[in-house]
Amino acid sequence: MSSQINLKEIERKAFRSTYQDGLWDLYLGLIVVCMFIFVYRPAEGHSPTNIVLALLGVLLARSLFWAGKKFITLPRMGQVRFRAMRKQKEKTTLAIILGVVVFIQVGMVGLTTLSWLNHEVAAKINGFLKAGDLMLLVVAAIGSLMVGVSMILIAYFSDFPRGYYIAVMMWLAVFLMIYLNQPVYPIIIGGLIILPGLVLFVRFLKEYPLPREEASHE
Amino acid sequence: MSESTGSPDLSALADLDRLVHEPARLAVMALLYVVESADFTFLMNQTGLTWGNLSAHMSKLEEAGYLKVEKSFKGRRPNTALRLTPLGREAFQEYARRMKQVFQDFPT
Repeated sequence: MSSQINLKEIERKAFRSTYQDGLWDLYLGLIVVCMFIFVYRPAEGHSPTNIVLALLGVLLARSLFWAGKKFITLPRMGQVRFRAMRKQKEKTTLAIILGVVVFIQVGMVGLTTLSWLNHEVAAKINGFLKAGDLMLLVVAAIGSLMVGVSMILIAYFSDFPRGYYIAVMMWLAVFLMIYLNQPVYPIIIGGLIILPGLVLFVRFLKEYPLPREEASHE
Repeated sequence: MSESTGSPDLSALADLDRLVHEPARLAVMALLYVVESADFTFLMNQTGLTWGNLSAHMSKLEEAGYLKVEKSFKGRRPNTALRLTPLGREAFQEYARRMKQVFQDFPT
């Protein structure tokens, strides 16, 4: 009898059930859509308004997520607190994501310092980037790498299988958005994340009607 | 234990905690064993039990001291959080140990 394995499965099933409402998909999809305001560079130059609008968009997405969880999901699905092991996993995720971001930034700082100290290297890097007009490609690759890897780590440590799909979509959205500077890509890709989320949300509402008042076990 | 004959020790079955052995309560206890606490609605959804059924089993487990019921308010809605007591955890572990032992002794 593999009681240990079964108990793990019970815990995993209970944990994954918290993703059934599709709200994470909707939230992350909206963030991708908001990205276009942030990254899009109009011909007349980048405006700080873009940053403010993008932040407001993310704030709105976050508020919708919070309200959805509080007023729609929790009354239907109920509340559960997982054991310390899960909380530890969340901390590990955050630490690793910060580690990856810092690692990439340290790499960039290292390259910059190297180019300051060694003019030959600087000239070579500049020449290489300018020759093939690669600057934008490099920025797009680094930006998408940071977002994509972070999302993959979140999906892995949060036990969120759909997160891998979202990670690939985010990776693609950031890359295309920076490289091609076309707002249509994050909007379409954000839509491709939102769509399954909407389907799950509607299914969730059908499967989990509001329980009767007595179910609160007063 | 009758290792010499190779047959399982069925007396272990007679010593099983019947409070835990009942399938619905076993499902509830298994779920509460792997989480810190859960409310009534979550348990209903996960186990598929009706409110009345679950309520009856909860009362039995609470009477035995296996379960702790914490009532509070989330906004204006009453909320009942349920968690296994140390005694309940011990009872579940003991039950799992005995069942494991019985099935391990079974010839295959």
